[in-house]
Formats: sequence, structure tokens, C-alpha cells
Amino acid sequence: MTPTVRVSRTVRRRHGGHGGSLAGHAMLAPALLVVAAVTLFPIGYAIDMSLSHVDLGLTGVHLRFDGFHNYSVVFQSPQFWQSLLFTVAFTAVTVVLEFALGLLLALLCKSWVRPRGALMSLFLVPWAFITVVSAELWGYMLNGSYGLMDAVMQGLHLAQGNVVWLGTPTLAAASLMAADVWKTTPFVALMLLAGLLMIPDEIYEASDMDGAGPGATFFRITLPLLRPSMLLALLFRTLQAFGVFDLPFVMTGGGPGSSTQSLSMLAYNAMFRDFDFGPGTAVAVLTVVVVFLMSLVIIAMFRGQLTGTYDA
Amino acid sequence: MRSRNPWSWVRYPATALALFVILFPFYWLVVTSFKGPMDAAAYPPHLLPHPLTLVNYQRIFAVFHFERYFVNSTVVASATTVAVAVLGSLAAYALARLPVRGKVSILLALLVISLFPGVAVISPLYVLMRDISWLNSYQGLVVPYVAFNLPLAIWILQNYFRGIPRELEESARMDGAGLLRTLRSIILPLSVPGLFTAGIFTFVACWTEFLMALTFNSSNNWRTIPVAIALFGTRFSVSKGDVFAASALAVLPITILVLLFRRWVVSGLLSGAVKG
Repeated sequence: MTPTVRVSRTVRRRHGGHGGSLAGHAMLAPALLVVAAVTLFPIGYAIDMSLSHVDLGLTGVHLRFDGFHNYSVVFQSPQFWQSLLFTVAFTAVTVVLEFALGLLLALLCKSWVRPRGALMSLFLVPWAFITVVSAELWGYMLNGSYGLMDAVMQGLHLAQGNVVWLGTPTLAAASLMAADVWKTTPFVALMLLAGLLMIPDEIYEASDMDGAGPGATFFRITLPLLRPSMLLALLFRTLQAFGVFDLPFVMTGGGPGSSTQSLSMLAYNAMFRDFDFGPGTAVAVLTVVVVFLMSLVIIAMFRGQLTGTYDA
Repeated sequence: MRSRNPWSWVRYPATALALFVILFPFYWLVVTSFKGPMDAAAYPPHLLPHPLTLVNYQRIFAVFHFERYFVNSTVVASATTVAVAVLGSLAAYALARLPVRGKVSILLALLVISLFPGVAVISPLYVLMRDISWLNSYQGLVVPYVAFNLPLAIWILQNYFRGIPRELEESARMDGAGLLRTLRSIILPLSVPGLFTAGIFTFVACWTEFLMALTFNSSNNWRTIPVAIALFGTRFSVSKGDVFAASALAVLPITILVLLFRRWVVSGLLSGAVKG
């Protein structure tokens, strides 16, 4: 919790006016230029493409301004609404589950003192997994004719015959969510655990002496003090989940039909399978707009915590 | 010692269950990679290979030239990590120590940009790279990867730099060292854990990235591991054993790397990346 403002003044005085600032901007420039060149500039160009008739000729790309034609194509396509619905449902369900399970896992991990480090490092195994591999693996375990999950279900007498996990829209969506929860919950747990470990023990001791029960302690102390970690984890997870691509692309191919085709997949397929760059880019731009609005909302909740820390 | 913690007894079975769920798929991946084609498709599935065979591992090298993808992934991830460490240290030092207008806005903008879905930029970048012949090249992946990984690295590093006592820099500066020299000889040696944290995050992100690698480097010679694994089935008749032998080889190095450096990854999550 370094007060940045004070720091800056000291440095400025020593370097005499704008000298330090110039050096600062010079050191910052290369990184910001690379980031802008690969993200901001292409997003601007993507907006241009989404408003144009895109002709991918052999001599290069030709854009002809076409107003909102691509967007009206997108809005009239039932596939877009299906993808939007799937992506929203996927984001909502996985984020809620990952937070609930992640919080349980973090509390569990905190209750162990000695093997905590070992537990935490095991949480990193799914995090470092390649999503494509995780998709192949879950697809194999949920295979409808020789999958492990079928054997488990039959062994527990929960199902007779084979379950068509990836062959019906609801079960396929649920399977994708489960695979995502498996891979990402430990990561959420680590982020929340970071917040838990920063809460000073004295606060818990004080609440204990005041005779607060475990429930009251959890809701009045743990949850409020965990807010900054939760908001940051919420930002990470919501934005990543909304852009989901690898998992459905490999595990279900967007199927059955196009029931599990996420917005990113829809945009990718339109662009690189059907070579419809105009409508495909329009879907991509719409995805970014939604992501941007969500991040603004989360950061608005988050900014108070940040400025408290940075004081600038 | 009497514990009032409600977890005191539930936590044993709960921890065992959590570990089982987290680790079992990893076990299943490794076991399947040692199963022959018939064994991998047996129902009910065998919990151990029956018989154990190395044929999948032989095939992925002899038939599918897996080493090619391994080299591609290693080159791209290593080059990106080095570039991110250099550019990220410079930027993080400026944000941590020097007067720059709008620091909080810059940090927040970086964070949001790094989380933007990749699909937003692939069509313009694809078109651009086609024009300058960067499709199917190393730089065509390294440059976007650098841009998408710099923000988190800058966050981690600037948090780390803030924790270093200012007196050390001041004495260096009184000896006449310039900013870059101070950064190189005082700050960076003290920030090795922070650099490792940022480096591991970057390396893992590059090793696992799929969408851009699929879009920009789709030609067989230039594929990275995730693209190769995802497209395995589309060109050859492959068994699940082949897929999982390749997957095990792809996942193992990164798992070992992460477990070796776990202290830094965890501390990056615990302090650097999260302290916001």
C-alpha cells in the first residue's frame, strides 16, 4: 500500500521538473505501443470491417462501406441468438459454480496450516493444463459408447444403458460447463485464498471474543473483506468465460447441431470456415462490446478498492 | 488443542474428495496414453493399462513427428517470455517509480485489454499478416502473444518493484547510475521471484493458447502443440492412445515447470497479481 502520489513528487523533484516524467514515458512506450498495435488498432479495424462489404481478393483486402448490413444479417440469424444464449448461460453457470466451489476449496485449504503449500501447488495442475487436452480428455471420459462416466453411472445404478452425454443439447452444454469448472475452480480458489490469507487473525479473534458464531463471522467479516479478491476473480472469470472457444471447439465441435456454439466459435466459423469476414467480424465486435460493458460494471465496483490501494 | 473450527473433521474427507476430483483426470490421461487401441476403447474401461504398451509414444514421433510441434511451441513460448520480461520490466518500473500521468487508468486499461476475447482481433490481424507474409511464421505468433501477456506481467512486476526499499536505488543514483542502470543492477536482481512469476504466467499462456495459433499458424509445419492435438484426428486415423500420448508429453513439462516454481506462481497469485 505505497502512496504513489508522494513517491511521484519525490522523484519529480529530484529529476527536476519533467525529466523524470519523460524517462517514465519513454520506458512505458514500447510496451504500450505493442499492446496498442495488436489490440486497439485491430479492434478499430475490426469495427471498420464489420461496417463494410469485405472482399478477400488475392491482391489484398478491399473494404466497401456497407452501413449496418452485416449487423442486420447477424441479428436476423437464429444461430447468433442461439450462440448468445449458450454463451450467456455458460458464463453465468460456470462463474457461479466456480465461485461457490472455489470459496469452499479456499476455506478448506486455509483450514490446513502445514500442507497448505502442497495443496496449493496441486491446484495448479488443472490451471496449467492445455484446454485442448482437457477437452479431448473430457470428451473421452464422456464418450457415449466406452466412456468412463458411463461405467461409473452404471456401477452406481444411476443409469441403465449408455448416457449420450455429448449428443443432446442440454447434456452437452452441462458437460462443457463441468469440464470448465474442473479446470478453473482451483484457480479461483487460489485467488480467493490470497484474499483470505490477507485477513488479519486479530479480526477473527476479536469476533470470537464478541461471541459471534461461525455464520455471522463468515457473512460479516470474511465475505466483506474478501471483496477485492472476489471482484478481481469475477473480472477474470467473466471475461474469459464469455470468450470461450477452445473447449466447445474441440469437445463438441459446437454440437449437437449448433447448440453449444459459443459466440467466439460462431465468429471464427463465419470467418475461417465460411469466409464471411463481414458478418463474422460483426459477431466478434458485438462480443467485445458485451465484454467491455461487463468489465466497466465490474471495474466500477472494483475501483474504490483500487484507488484505496494506489492513492493516485 | 480444542478447535472450534467447523471444518475440523469434515475437512479430511472433503480434502480427499477435492484432490481426487482435481487429480483423477490427470491420472486417466497418463494411463490411457499407455493403452493400446483396443484397450483404450474397452468397456468397461480398465483402471490400469492391460497390457502396458509404449506403441502410442513411438507412433506420435515416428508417424506424426510430434517433435516438430514441440519445437514450435518451445520457440514461440520462450521468445515471448523473454520479450515480455524485457518490455514488462521497463514499463513496470516506470509505473512503479516514475511520475506518469494516469497510472491507475493505464493499469486498468491494460488489465481489461488483456482479458478481451482473442476473436476480436483475429480477423484484422489475419488480414494484416497475410499482407506482410507473417502467416505461418514464428513472429506471427510471438508479437500477438507479447501484446496479450504484457499487461499481466506489468501488473505483477510493478507490484513487486513497489516492495523494494527505495533507499537501495537512491544510493545507486547518488553513485551516478542512470535509470536503466539502476533497473538492471539494483531492481532486477532483487526481483528474480517476480520475474519468474511473470515468466511462468506468460509461458503457460503461450503453451496453451489455441485460437490465434489455429488461425495464424494452421499449416502443418508451423502448428503449436494445442493446434496439432486438436487437428490430429482430421488428417490421420488416430487412436485415443495417440492423442493422449501426445497430450501427456504436452502437459507434463509445463506441470513439472509449474510445480518446480510453485512458490513463485502461488506468491504471484497471492501477492502480485491479486493485490490490486
